[in-house]
Amino acid sequence: MKLLRSFKLHNDKIWSIDYSSGLLATASSDLRIKILRIGDIGSDDIDEKNKENDDDDNRLLDELDDSAHKKTIRSVAWRPNSNILAAGSFDSTISIWSKEDYQEDEVAGNNFSMDLLAIIEGHENEVKSVAWSQDGYFLATCSRDKSVWIWEADEVGEEYECVSVLQEHSQDIKHVVWHPTQNVLASSSYDDTIRVWKEFDEDWECAAVLNGHEGTVWCSDFEHSSVEKNDSMRLCSGSDDAKVKVWKFDGVNEDSEDIWICESTLPPVHSGPVYSVCWNDDGLIASAGSDGVIAIYKEDETLKGKWNCIEKNEKSHTFFEINCIKWIKNNNDETLLLSASDDGHVNMWNVNKN
Amino acid sequence: DKLLALQPVPLLVSDADENESTDMEDDLEESDPIDRQEIFDLIASISDPEHPLSLAQLAIVNLNNIEVIDSGKRDEIAHVIVRITPTITHCSLATLIGLGIRVRLERSLPSRFRIVIILTKGSHQSENQVNKQLNDKERVAAACENPQLLGVVSNMLSTCK
Repeated sequence: MKLLRSFKLHNDKIWSIDYSSGLLATASSDLRIKILRIGDIGSDDIDEKNKENDDDDNRLLDELDDSAHKKTIRSVAWRPNSNILAAGSFDSTISIWSKEDYQEDEVAGNNFSMDLLAIIEGHENEVKSVAWSQDGYFLATCSRDKSVWIWEADEVGEEYECVSVLQEHSQDIKHVVWHPTQNVLASSSYDDTIRVWKEFDEDWECAAVLNGHEGTVWCSDFEHSSVEKNDSMRLCSGSDDAKVKVWKFDGVNEDSEDIWICESTLPPVHSGPVYSVCWNDDGLIASAGSDGVIAIYKEDETLKGKWNCIEKNEKSHTFFEINCIKWIKNNNDETLLLSASDDGHVNMWNVNKN
Repeated sequence: DKLLALQPVPLLVSDADENESTDMEDDLEESDPIDRQEIFDLIASISDPEHPLSLAQLAIVNLNNIEVIDSGKRDEIAHVIVRITPTITHCSLATLIGLGIRVRLERSLPSRFRIVIILTKGSHQSENQVNKQLNDKERVAAACENPQLLGVVSNMLSTCK
């Protein structure tokens, strides 16, 4: 894999990033959220001269009001098909921001600004992750208070009604993620498990508990490529036990509970906690964590469930830990990888698919 | 403890070279590795949160329970493992002591160091629970933003030079 760009954005840890419609949002311990225009960068754009002339300041569209949160901003998420960003903080609140309609070809920084639309309160302590459902209808948030809250949002993103509080994890919840096409949610926890949640009769219930990791589960992500086939839902997960696992939905038992099995434990690559995993449209899984390694895995084309590590990139942020990785699609529909680190940088990578 | 099995710990000889570690980050050339004596010196004088004594005086930390894996190369990840022994097996302040040690080391060591703080085997009735909490990056970060906790930690560290 090839480093395309490295953006120095924060003076402290970057915990989370999200990307939508050419725009990158970052969450940092320095209490700031930054919005960066990066959709125009492509895989062939490795000209040294280009890089040098590419000023971060020129790409920086906005820096959100840092008085909105009193503590670390832990997680950011763009609402699908909208101009809204949600941010969760250790101060136990979630902030909602909106931007004006924005055209990619506008001059950078020109009239771009995001305004604080709402602050959502309810969690008792640190919010650790926020995620929008694919239709943008639901916002899921999770916290050290051991609960996942599901909020129903109005169209403009100003009003939030809590429709469910899910309290079955026995320890704090590190991460929530929605299925790319269905209203199915996965939560990863300090209790070493992942729980899968589904809507039943207008309420939300735990459909399955995924046991197998031997440490905190930091993150999970649903498979994208098989979204057409309802019966083959899969999830990958990264844990403090340094492992990455793939889980597979395997039907329903007589008590009408979903059965999930651990289909694979991916080849061991990491020597420390895995903080982030991400599955792309081409079927590749990426993982990153404390050891600064970014690993890319590809499934065997004939033997499903068998995975090979096709790339192991060390010192991706020199000796710093990586907290978050994300596959993105640039303006030309090319798939690239982003990584965010304790060093305050977001790095942008071109990954060879083979 | 799995981490520790990955590599044998190199035998480090203290050469009493008192490098100020905080100034090291710009220079990427190889240097003397940091050794266990230096780590011990950083944490020995931390005050116990409830006794008027230091962690070394109470034998909560001691030189033999510190391991360092450090190539000395300034662009490579290095590891420090500190095993602590609370004075009693139901010590409710074990996590606080561990947090104090972690904060002290994070502030003093270059960023390339990964710090692991664990209880010595059998020294605490909630050993696994305490170990897990002490090494959870996110919980540690959140604890360091808690003014009350940070106040107590600052007091513990006020006796460090």
